[in-house]
Amino acid sequence: MNNNNHSANGPLTPAEVAFLCEAQSITIIPRQRLDGLDLIGGYIPPFHPPQRTAIPLWLALLLKRQRRCNIVPPPWLSAPNIERILKIETENQNFFCPDLPYRWLETAELLLEACPDDLGGDDGELRVLLRGLREVRQGKVREGLGKLEATYLQMNNLGLLEITEVRGFAKGVVDGLRKIGASIEVELVLGWMMMMMIFR
Amino acid sequence: MDIDDLLQELDDNQVPSGTRDIADLTQSWIAERSAPEILPFQTALLERLMERIRQQIELVETQTGNLDPKTNFCLILIQTELERVKFLVRSYLRARIHKIDKHSIYILTTPSIRGRLSPPELSYLKSHLGLLNSHFLASFLRGFPEHWGISMVEEPDLDGAVFCKVVKDIEDNIARIPGTDAEFKLTKGDVYVVRYSAVREFILRGEVELI
Repeated sequence: MNNNNHSANGPLTPAEVAFLCEAQSITIIPRQRLDGLDLIGGYIPPFHPPQRTAIPLWLALLLKRQRRCNIVPPPWLSAPNIERILKIETENQNFFCPDLPYRWLETAELLLEACPDDLGGDDGELRVLLRGLREVRQGKVREGLGKLEATYLQMNNLGLLEITEVRGFAKGVVDGLRKIGASIEVELVLGWMMMMMIFR
Repeated sequence: MDIDDLLQELDDNQVPSGTRDIADLTQSWIAERSAPEILPFQTALLERLMERIRQQIELVETQTGNLDPKTNFCLILIQTELERVKFLVRSYLRARIHKIDKHSIYILTTPSIRGRLSPPELSYLKSHLGLLNSHFLASFLRGFPEHWGISMVEEPDLDGAVFCKVVKDIEDNIARIPGTDAEFKLTKGDVYVVRYSAVREFILRGEVELI
C-alpha cells in the first residue's frame, strides 16, 4: 500500500479518516431482498424493499455500486441546510457552527462521489456550497492557529477531516514552541510569523 | 449516526456486543496512533474479535462451494467486512510494534509500562532486543568505553502535542500543564490540542479520548 495512505506511526492519514467514516450508519432504500446477515460488527436485518433500513456506510456504498439500493442522504446534507450553515459561519467569525456532524466533510465527499443521483436534483449547487463552507471554516482555523500558544488550543466543533488537515502543522507549532521554551510574547509573535509564512 | 454516537449509547446497553467491540478497537487504534507512549493492550477485546474473525473465515471456507448466487453474494459481503476488521487489527498491532521497536529499552526497564504489553509482544521485544544487542556488541559497542555518561535509551516524548476530546463529565476537571502555571477546564465535548502529559491521567481513565 502507498506510504501516504497508510502508516504505522503518527496520527491518522486522510485515507484512514475516510476508512473510519465508512463505519458510520446510513439509511438506504433497498431495491432487492436480502436475508439477514450476521457480521462481526453486528447483525444486518433482512431487506424488504422498499422499506428503509439503516446499515453501515461501507455496505451501502458496495450495494449502491451494484445498483442494489438507493442511499437516503442524511438530513443535514441538503443544499438549503448547507446554505443556512454557510450563512451562520460567514456571519460569526469566532466560532464553528455546531450543526454539522463530526464527519461532515468526509461523509459529504464520499456521498457526492458515490451517489450524486440520490442527493436530490442539482448536486452542482451542493458542491459549490460545501466548498464555500469548507473555505470559510479553513480560514477560521488558520486564524485560530495564528493565535496559538505553546500550552493549549481549543478546537470545538471542528470535523475530524478538518482536524487531520491542520494536525501536522498545529502539532509542529506546539511542540516547536515548547522546545524553544520562549516567553509567551515571543511565542505569539513567532506563531504568527510562521502562519504568515505558511499560509501566505 | 456516528461512531461517537454509538459510543455514547453504550450506557443504554442496546448496542450489540459486536458493534461495541469494533467501536472500541477503532478508538484503541486511534489512541495508539496519537499517543507518544504505548497504551495498555486490549487483551479481552482482541481475544473476542480474533475468535469472531476465525468464525467468519470458517463460514466463508465451508460455504465457498455453494453455487447459490444469493449465498455467494452474502459471502462477498462477509469477506468485505472481514477485510475491514483485519485491517483494523493489523493497524492496531503495527502501531504498537512501531513503538515497541522505538522505545524498546525504555519499555523493558519500566515495569509499569512493560505490563502494558501482551505476552507475544513482550517475547517479540525481548528476542528482537537480544538480537540487536548481540549484533551491536559484536560490530562496534565493544570498542567503546564502558561509561560513556550519556543515556542512549530513547524514551517517548510525553510532552508531545496531541489532539483530544473530552468524552465524559469529569468531577475534578482542571487540567494543569506541567512545568507552567497554565491550566484549563475540561468540559464534555471540548476538543483540545495540548501536551500529552497534561491530559495523560484523563486519557488512561477513559475520560478524555485521543482523536
